[in-house]
Amino acid sequence: MNAAKTAKTLMWICLVVISALSLFPFYIMIVMGTHYNEDLFKGIPILPGDYLADNLKTVMSADFMSVYLNSLIVSVVSVVLATLTSTLIGYALAKFEFRGRKALQTFVVLTMMVPTQVGLIGYIIEMRNLGVGNTLWPVILVWAAFPFGAFFMVQFIRDSIPNDLLECARIDGCSEPGIFVRIVLPIMKPGLATLATLVFLWSWNNYLLPLVTINKSEWYTLPIFISNLGIVHRTDYAARMLALTLTTVPVLILFVLGSKTFMKGLTAGAVKG
Amino acid sequence: MWPYLFALPFVLAYAAFQLYPVIYSFVLSLHDWNGISEKTYIGFKNYVQLWTNDPLFIKSLWNTLIMMLMFIPLTLILGLVLAYWTFQLTRGKRLFQTINVLPYITTPVAIGFIFSYLFDWQTGLVNLLLTKFGWLQEGFYWLQDPWGSRAIIALMVIWRNLGYFMIIFMAGMTVIPQDVYEAAKMDGSTGLHTFRKITMPLLRNITVFLVVTSVIGGLQLFDEPKLLYGGWSGSAQVGGPDNTALTVIWKFVDESFISNTRFGYASSIAYSLFVIIVFFSILSYRLTAPKEDKR
Repeated sequence: MNAAKTAKTLMWICLVVISALSLFPFYIMIVMGTHYNEDLFKGIPILPGDYLADNLKTVMSADFMSVYLNSLIVSVVSVVLATLTSTLIGYALAKFEFRGRKALQTFVVLTMMVPTQVGLIGYIIEMRNLGVGNTLWPVILVWAAFPFGAFFMVQFIRDSIPNDLLECARIDGCSEPGIFVRIVLPIMKPGLATLATLVFLWSWNNYLLPLVTINKSEWYTLPIFISNLGIVHRTDYAARMLALTLTTVPVLILFVLGSKTFMKGLTAGAVKG
Repeated sequence: MWPYLFALPFVLAYAAFQLYPVIYSFVLSLHDWNGISEKTYIGFKNYVQLWTNDPLFIKSLWNTLIMMLMFIPLTLILGLVLAYWTFQLTRGKRLFQTINVLPYITTPVAIGFIFSYLFDWQTGLVNLLLTKFGWLQEGFYWLQDPWGSRAIIALMVIWRNLGYFMIIFMAGMTVIPQDVYEAAKMDGSTGLHTFRKITMPLLRNITVFLVVTSVIGGLQLFDEPKLLYGGWSGSAQVGGPDNTALTVIWKFVDESFISNTRFGYASSIAYSLFVIIVFFSILSYRLTAPKEDKR
C-alpha cells in the first residue's frame, strides 16, 4: 500500500511541475511587460513592476489598435468564409445521393494532404495579378476553402442530423435552402462553434503568410507587427512583451471559457480518423 | 441539382486559391524567374541544381530531420504518460488539461520571443539561474551553439505540442471500453502491466495519427526557428549559427522572399519538400500502423 501511495505522490509532483512549466513562460511574459525596459537586464524579473502605464503608452503610440483591428477583421472574415463553404459541402456530401459523390469525397480527402506552402509562390503572384497583393485579402482568401473544415463537417453532419427530419421538412414543402438555414444550421451549432474557434485561432496566430505577403505597415497583423516593433522604433523589449501579452491573453481567456467545445474540436479529427 | 450547388463554393474557392497556385508553382519550378524579368524555361535544371549542387538545401533537410528526431519521440512518450496520469485523476482533470493546452493555442511569435529571452547569453533567465546555483561558471551561449540551437527549437516544439498530444491521447482513452480493464483486473493484471498490454495497443490508431501528422508538420517547421532568431535579438540572422537551425521551409522563404527572389528555384524546393512529405507520411504510416492494416 505504501509503494502505491509513494507512486501517487510522485505522479502528482510530476503533474504539477509539468503544468508549472507550461504556465511559467506566460508568467514571465506578463511580468516583463510591467517593467522599465532597461531594468529587465539588471536581474531576474519575478515580481510585477510599476511601469505598465508607460509601456502601454509606447505600444499604443505605435498604431497597436489599428493592427488589432486588422487582425480581428482577418480572423472574423476567415471564420465566416471557412465555416460557410465547409458546412455547405459537408451537408451535400453527408446527406445527398448524387452522381459524383464518391469522387467529390475523395477530392476533399486529397485536398487535406497538400501543404499550403507548396503553392505559396503561385498564390502570391496570383494575388498580385488580381491587384490585391499588399492588402489583407491574401491572408483572408486562403481560408475560403479549408479542407480540414470540409472533412470535419461531413463527419459532423452525418452523425448529428437525422435523415427523417430532412424528409419531413421536404414533405411539408420547405425549400432546400430553407431546410439548410432553418433546420441544418441550428442543429449544427456545436460543430460550427468548434470549427469557428479553430479557424479563428489559426488565422489569428498565422505568421508565415502575412510575413511574405504584407509589407505595408497599415496592413500588418499582430504577429508581424510585434516581430517588427522594436526594430522600427527603439529596442523596447518591455513594450514588445506587453504587446504580446495583449495579443495572447484575450485568446487564452476565450479558450478557458470555451474549453469544453474546444477540446472536442481539437480531438474530433483524431479519434475518428 | 442542390447538392452540386452546395458543393460549388468550396470547389470553386479551392480551385481558385489553392489548386491553381499549386499547379502554377509547379510550372514556375521549371523556369528561371526572378519575378520581374522574362521567364526562361529550363526544364528540371532547378531540381538538379537543388539536389546536386546546393549544400545548404541538403543541410536544411538534415537539420529538419534531426530536430524532428529530437522532438517527435519525446513528445509522444511524455504526452502518453501525462495523458495516462491525468486520465486517472478523479479531480482536477479538466484543470490539468486546460493548463497544458495553453501553449498550443499561443501565437508562435510569443513562443519565439519568450524562448529567445529565456536562453539569451547574457540576460537570459536560464543562464542567470544556472550561474546563480553554481552549475555553470559563466553563461552558456545557447543560441550560438550548433546543438544548443537545435535543442532549444526542439524544446519549443515540445513545449507547444505536449498538451495537444495529451488531450488527443486522452480522447483515445475515453473510447476504450471499461470492461476490458475490468477483465484485466480479474486476471490479476495491474498498473504498468495493464498500461503496456492494454492501454498502449488500444491507442495504436491514435499513435499512428499523431506520428503521421507530426511528421508532416515537422517537415514544415518554420515559425519556431525563424522567430527564435528574428525576435528577441533583433538581428535577423538567417539560419541560426552557421545555418544549423535552417529548416527547409526557412530556406524556401529566404530564397523566394527575403534574401532572394528566385521564384522558380524556390518553387522547386517547395515541390521537393512535397515529395518528401508524401514519402515520409507513407513510411511513418507503414512503420506505425498495426500489422492487420498492411494487407
